[in-house]
Amino acid sequence: MRRRVVVTGMGMVTCLGSGVPANWEAVTAGRSGVRSITAFDCTDYHTRIAGEIQGDFDPCGHVPVKEFRRMDRYQQFALVAAGEAIKDSGLSCPPEEPYRAAVVIGSGMGGLATIEKGSDILREKGPKRVNPLLIPMTVINLAPGMISIKYGFKGPNFGVVNACTSGASAIGEAYRLILEGRADVAITGGTEAVVTRLSIAAFNALRALSERNDEPDKASRPFDADRDGFVIAEGAGILVLESLEHATRRGAEVRAEIVGYGATDDAYHFVMPDPEGEGALMAMKLAVEEAGIDVSQVGYVNAHGTSTELNDVMETEAVKKLFGTHAKDLAVSSTKSMTGHLIGAAGAVEAIYSIMAVRTGIIPPTINLDNPDPKCDLDYTPHTARTKELEYALTNSFAFGGQNACLAVKRA
Amino acid sequence: MDDLEKKVVDLIAEVLVDVNKENIQLDSKIVEDLGAESLDIYDMIALLEDEFGMEITDEEVEQIQTVKDVANFIRNHRKAS
Repeated sequence: MRRRVVVTGMGMVTCLGSGVPANWEAVTAGRSGVRSITAFDCTDYHTRIAGEIQGDFDPCGHVPVKEFRRMDRYQQFALVAAGEAIKDSGLSCPPEEPYRAAVVIGSGMGGLATIEKGSDILREKGPKRVNPLLIPMTVINLAPGMISIKYGFKGPNFGVVNACTSGASAIGEAYRLILEGRADVAITGGTEAVVTRLSIAAFNALRALSERNDEPDKASRPFDADRDGFVIAEGAGILVLESLEHATRRGAEVRAEIVGYGATDDAYHFVMPDPEGEGALMAMKLAVEEAGIDVSQVGYVNAHGTSTELNDVMETEAVKKLFGTHAKDLAVSSTKSMTGHLIGAAGAVEAIYSIMAVRTGIIPPTINLDNPDPKCDLDYTPHTARTKELEYALTNSFAFGGQNACLAVKRA
Repeated sequence: MDDLEKKVVDLIAEVLVDVNKENIQLDSKIVEDLGAESLDIYDMIALLEDEFGMEITDEEVEQIQTVKDVANFIRNHRKAS
């Protein structure tokens, strides 16, 4: 018999706030977290806005202040969100069977700020003054590594590097570990901290980012004809997954079930999605098939919806191809309109919003959809949240590199 | 403790995650008493070098055992330069 995989804990940090309750309040209220960048002087930049996390992001003290010093920001976000997720799950740590406890965390670029700073020191002060912690602060597998040390998880442990799909891929792979019986419990999700000098300059060089600097809260406008690129953002989303037996045995509250995961690649272009959207379509189709449901049972799709023309049109086409006549009854939204694009954390943060949607029956909106692109003609839940009876939702993530991942979640 | 010694204690406390500042004495041995491991030592050296604008060789590090040794090393370095 197939094992069932359930979600028992969730934690997150985004520009909308720390913690799932603060985030859910903000996205259902249709509030943007995009603001002017404070992390560095961006006077000379085309883009001067981001979904930046400003101020204290660990108000509940999930990580001791002294430990922060030895972590890059992407690791800090992961540890804070993991702290919330573990607390939410009620799991006692270290777990009774530590070798059955996995950690799988996605990140696109890891400790980029640490590399930038190290590179400055190397140039200005020479090789002998480079920070001895630069390597552990930089490499992506240290995020799952640090989580394993903190919670005593000794089973399968790895980082997933899949650009904007990293978070969804990590959750999908952790789900598979449990589904296939190689682990009973997993801490999984994505984390990213790329509101940095080099990253913004490089994404600007690619002409990928919005330059709507005077109206930060209106800059991320998925499916809107007046969009001018995506808004980069930072943060983390972390889940605790368990086999249903493991969760039931310890009397855990089940928040939702992960019922399907589709993973494909476009094999088309290194940064552009295949305009035919075949890879995206197949990822969604595989997730729905694994869930063993008809497409008409899916009530909500949390879109990748980046606020770039290439993505938004392609994704709309892929959704229409998969859902056929049901596409018009489907609620779709892009929460990136409020959070910006968290790159390797996006898939995980959006999985949490999708889980909250099936739990509460509230669809978070796509804000800033004032002038819909004629080529984007689905119901994107414009401007304000609405309620809907929901059992299943999909969440999409697509990446530079052509990677596509789709997770199917079910109300508990 | 003088100001320099207090500064050294602050830096050591910053590096050693599990040690409270109140428990660091001038005669505390950094490895034996405070539990510093090799990476902690490298981290401390980098901080001291940044803070006091000097270079500490691996041979010099081997001569340093206690918190007071660190403060004395910095004092001697200041006199020499």
